[in-house]
Amino acid sequence: MQIKSPSKMVKEHFRESDVAKKISNVTFGLLNAHQMEQLSHLQVVSKNLYTQDGCRKPVQYGVLDHKMGTSEKDNSCETCGKGLADCIGHYGYIDLELPCFHIGYFRTIITILQMICKNCSCVLLRPEDRKIFLDSVKKPLTYLQRKVLKKKIYEKCRKVSHCPECSMYNGMVKKCGLLKIIHDKYKQKSAKIENPVITEFMGSFENAVEHNKDIESLLSKTQEVLHPIKVQTLFERISDEDIPLLLMSSEISRPEDLILKRILVPPICIRPSVVSDLKAGTNEDDITMKLTEIVFLNDVIQKHKATGAKMSMFVEDWDFLQLQPKKSTRGFVQRLKGKQGRFRGNLSGKRVDYSGRTVISPDPNMRIDQVAVPIHVAKILTYPEKVNKANIKLLRKLIKNGCDVHPGANFIQQREQNIKRFLRYGNREKIAKELKFGDVVERHMIDGDVILFNRQPSLHKLSIQAFYSKSNIITPRNGEPLIAAIQDFITGGYLVTQKDVFFDRARACQLISSMLSDRERNMRIDLPPPAIIKPCKLWTGKQIFSVLLRPNKDSPVRANLRTKVIVIHNSDLLCGSMDKGTLGSGSKNNIFYVILRDYGEEYAASALSRLARLCPAYLNVTPGTGLIKAKNELLDDGYAKCDGYIRDLEEGRLQTQPGCDEEETLEAIILKELSVIRDHAGSFINISQMIACVGQQAISAKDPAARGFVENSFYSGLTPTEFFFHTMGGREGLVDTAVKTAETGYMQRRLVKSLEDLCSHYDLTVRSSTNDIVQFVYGGDSLDPACMEGKDQPVDFKRILDHVRANTWSSCRKEHPLSGPELLSIVEQQLSEEGFSGCSDDFKNDLRILELQINMTFHQLERLTNTQVEQFMSCCYNKYKRAQIEPGTAVGAICAQSIGEPGTQMTLKTFHFAGVASMNITQGVPRIKEIINASKNISTPIITAELQINNDAEFARVVKGRIERTTLGEVSEYLEEVFIPDDCFILVKLDQDRINLLKLEVNVDSIKESICAAKLRVKPQHVKVHSNSVLTVHPFETAKSSMYYVLQTLKKELPDVMIKGIPSMIKKEIVISTRASSNNICEVEKTLGIEAARTTIMNEIIYTMVNHGMSIDVRHVMLLADLMTFKGEVLGITRFGLAKMKESVLMLASFEKTADHLFEAAYHGQKDTINDRDSTPKRRKLVFDEIDFHMPSA
Amino acid sequence: MDLCNDPLPKNCCGNLVGRKLILVSGVSRLMCESESFKMDLILDVNMQIYPVELGDKFRMVLATTLKEDGTPDDGEYNPTDLGPSRADSFEYVMYGKVYRIEGDETGPDSSRLAAYVSYGGLLMRLQGDANNLHGFEVDSYVYLLIKKLAF
Repeated sequence: MQIKSPSKMVKEHFRESDVAKKISNVTFGLLNAHQMEQLSHLQVVSKNLYTQDGCRKPVQYGVLDHKMGTSEKDNSCETCGKGLADCIGHYGYIDLELPCFHIGYFRTIITILQMICKNCSCVLLRPEDRKIFLDSVKKPLTYLQRKVLKKKIYEKCRKVSHCPECSMYNGMVKKCGLLKIIHDKYKQKSAKIENPVITEFMGSFENAVEHNKDIESLLSKTQEVLHPIKVQTLFERISDEDIPLLLMSSEISRPEDLILKRILVPPICIRPSVVSDLKAGTNEDDITMKLTEIVFLNDVIQKHKATGAKMSMFVEDWDFLQLQPKKSTRGFVQRLKGKQGRFRGNLSGKRVDYSGRTVISPDPNMRIDQVAVPIHVAKILTYPEKVNKANIKLLRKLIKNGCDVHPGANFIQQREQNIKRFLRYGNREKIAKELKFGDVVERHMIDGDVILFNRQPSLHKLSIQAFYSKSNIITPRNGEPLIAAIQDFITGGYLVTQKDVFFDRARACQLISSMLSDRERNMRIDLPPPAIIKPCKLWTGKQIFSVLLRPNKDSPVRANLRTKVIVIHNSDLLCGSMDKGTLGSGSKNNIFYVILRDYGEEYAASALSRLARLCPAYLNVTPGTGLIKAKNELLDDGYAKCDGYIRDLEEGRLQTQPGCDEEETLEAIILKELSVIRDHAGSFINISQMIACVGQQAISAKDPAARGFVENSFYSGLTPTEFFFHTMGGREGLVDTAVKTAETGYMQRRLVKSLEDLCSHYDLTVRSSTNDIVQFVYGGDSLDPACMEGKDQPVDFKRILDHVRANTWSSCRKEHPLSGPELLSIVEQQLSEEGFSGCSDDFKNDLRILELQINMTFHQLERLTNTQVEQFMSCCYNKYKRAQIEPGTAVGAICAQSIGEPGTQMTLKTFHFAGVASMNITQGVPRIKEIINASKNISTPIITAELQINNDAEFARVVKGRIERTTLGEVSEYLEEVFIPDDCFILVKLDQDRINLLKLEVNVDSIKESICAAKLRVKPQHVKVHSNSVLTVHPFETAKSSMYYVLQTLKKELPDVMIKGIPSMIKKEIVISTRASSNNICEVEKTLGIEAARTTIMNEIIYTMVNHGMSIDVRHVMLLADLMTFKGEVLGITRFGLAKMKESVLMLASFEKTADHLFEAAYHGQKDTINDRDSTPKRRKLVFDEIDFHMPSA
Repeated sequence: MDLCNDPLPKNCCGNLVGRKLILVSGVSRLMCESESFKMDLILDVNMQIYPVELGDKFRMVLATTLKEDGTPDDGEYNPTDLGPSRADSFEYVMYGKVYRIEGDETGPDSSRLAAYVSYGGLLMRLQGDANNLHGFEVDSYVYLLIKKLAF
């Protein structure tokens, strides 16, 4: 009997083809000569690449020996026998005839040499220090702590000049020239105390000096050269117990490994040799060439050694081997670092298949969650679909269509075989017939597929969206809608909801049907009864708009919105016109936002697309303008005001503003006035520029004569002068955009790099990849910024209450309305129930306060029943629960995007008048940069202090007088040169009235002191006080100049002598010191502490952003401020700050200074656990070399 | 002048006094006073199809249905319904929604109420004694019927 083979449909046991090994950590370290040999398969000795017989065979034991792998298709590896695709390559090694310094460890070597005795190799620490440090080194330390400790030990060692073991003198170790190290050990510290060792050393030159006089002058500069061999012997002698003091880990590497005696030859596959068919010979990689040079130099040295060549030749060869004359080559470091390097270019981000590049063009006929793809692209982007019962028929058809007909397929992978078959060739009919369940067909993209689309620059997560699935309408920056009506759609929405818009039945139905998309084609529409029934039936535009929101009675959308202008009640637009505030983005009063929050994204997206279809259909008529008249009135009014101010100035009636004299005040006022003229149109600036007046050009010119106000409009035409001013403004804008792109791009990258590994956890904390806690509770309340309906609150209580009442009005009519106390007791009872225990106390308190407010305005008409309160409470509760942040959210990345992205929209060079007219305060991107860099010196430091007596102008003036810099010239009536027969001097007459007016606390004596203190070399006897307001300064002859010139210099300098100003301290009784604040973060940290610094960072970022009209949820700013301060000191988001907050070497290496970080990690023997983004991709890609092959080759 | 058993028998004769505001071209806001019930009325009217002059007198009726027999309205538009209607005897008819009722804060008399109705954006405010505005309810639909009276 035959045994039937089991049916193919039986589930096969799942077995992964390659059993992946999970990497727990990566250890960086140094390889010693022995380890290199173990790793290698052969020693490379031949300097030639190919045999000279012309058949292109690599020389055995050469740099291209096929034992190290292969780079050609037709040759296989001689070690593992695999082909080009499978062989992972094998190492070789070269023995250097003489040791060399490793360029990457050169600095480290100098550091170690500085730390050890150059005679006995012990660490230069006094026994007591040594004991302390040995103890602290033994403790388990994090990478950051180790780095800090190393610095500390190094600083201690530097100060020890005599070895505690052998009491040898140890001087400074310095770099000398290229890759040479010298030890300054013969330096006489002082001429008086003679060091016997040095004297002896100097004495040994006596004979030489006798024969060559030139040597004597050089003798004092003698230094010891520490060449690699010497350094190697010194390092080898460092005892094992001393190694921890160098912060190396002895089980991983020893100091002598820093010096190269043997180098690895990397596998051939990373330095392929390209055989060119056109010309003879091959193209070799830079590394291959370098290696052959090394082998060649090795040979030369060997030869010289054997023949006993002159010492100078020998040294020359050695230098040559060490230095390797510089040519720009693409070595290992170059391969790793930079944007295109391995880290950033290949590991953190890669080029992929199944992607394309897009540009945007609009199409109002598409729903907002759809995207149109050209057929050509759709035929290339494929989706692998597994064949099953439901789709086999369709897939058969697609296979028959093949590659070139659109809904087709490109590849098929049958279940049993592992080969992909290309459907362009072969018998497609047959393949289609043989299609079985479980096969995978790579079919073309068809309607309804979900694809990710990216819009460059990809600054935040909204730049990449899935189309036809979830629509990202809300930005996580502050929970405001991002996708909303713009331009035509706002205009259309505004016009159609005007009061005088009436349609007859035909037009109304036409408009309504025009707003239905393909998908809604068969939707039932309930046409409301016409607003005017007699004398003729007319529908209003508002009714059409209401249909847009709620097309039929089955639709659950009963949105409620009430602003100053409009009332929408259960999706009926009752009064007011829709405008930018209620249709456009950037506001939570947006009707689509309300629908989204209350009914979900699907309904909001549909309504939005209906608007997008309605508006073009309606917009046929352009509105006329009566604007010119209004413009003229406005202009005349503005000009009249300005003229008034000028007249005031002429008559001396103008009230000066703080910090300005009269002219400056006038300028500031007029500038403000003129800008008001421009800004009167508000956000309609564009249209007003076209039809009314271009307005004030913002030019940072100093000359007040020409501020460039452009009176004409683009429509009426500009005069030549106006045109010139306009171009000035235009160019400034252009330069600005060009500069800011690069500037903000880098800022964004730094933010993302520093924040990318932060995410929220199940215990509500926010932690970094190394589990450092940055926040105990995300944002203080663990709520998602994207779900904020109110201002930084999850629920807009007032709106929800209105909504609930509107929705339940009819159903609760029969219920008994609650009285005030009843209401309060119901709320209290609800709040104490189980469900609300999960809510924060803040939230509960907000609810209570709201109920109290309702309680005040209570009467029969505004009735509220039991059911309504219950519904309201549960609605608030649900919204609160939904707003809680999910564990695992990448809060850091979202934070970085939310702060970085608005940065790119800010104009770079914006200075802003804030209170003090005379001072420009840094704003915009420069300020944000200052804050996140944690700059020590900020460009406009400000201390805000509150006066103890804050309602007395006189008192304020006194304080101002004390702080403000006042010069002698400002308070004197005149300064005169006086010549009398026997004397000459400068007469200074003080203006007592002015001193009194400004409340300056100066008198003649204090001024005399000030003059003497000023750097004029005037001594007290040269200044004579004559009366309360008169003093004379007498010149004096000096060696350099005559009396006359001194007099002239004095006359020039005296008016600028500072007689009062900031150097004098402000006494505490003047200001309330507990309420003083500063905008200098580092200063705040020093004086008030880290928590104050954190608050300052938050306030400053929010302040800057708000000034630019950007709102950012406070939680994002909080996270950034916490990250900058959680280590206990203020760390900037720069490579220096980052190195102090991140433990992971791979993370740091992928940011900046790639090679430096890797070398440092290797020195320390750092273990990097694999858990952050930068290490993760490496985990998947690692392929293990088979250890069995590592037999030392014969 | 009651209109059968309508649940909302509001029936007032308006006299157009005071002002006529032109809001936008075509729509004017009428400020009216009633002769009988001491009520004030503000009403937006489409002037293009129904011109009203200063001093005109008209009769206004508010109803919840247009059916002669008083059967309630289902809120749906039925263009084929050509049966007898209350609108037959009026010149100007509108359909709208009550969206707000509030007490009159300005007057000394607290029993006065104001009802706000939106006829597809054309607004109406009817102010009067609470008893006369008894039938108004927020969220309900009403018909407004107007007929000019001869002097």
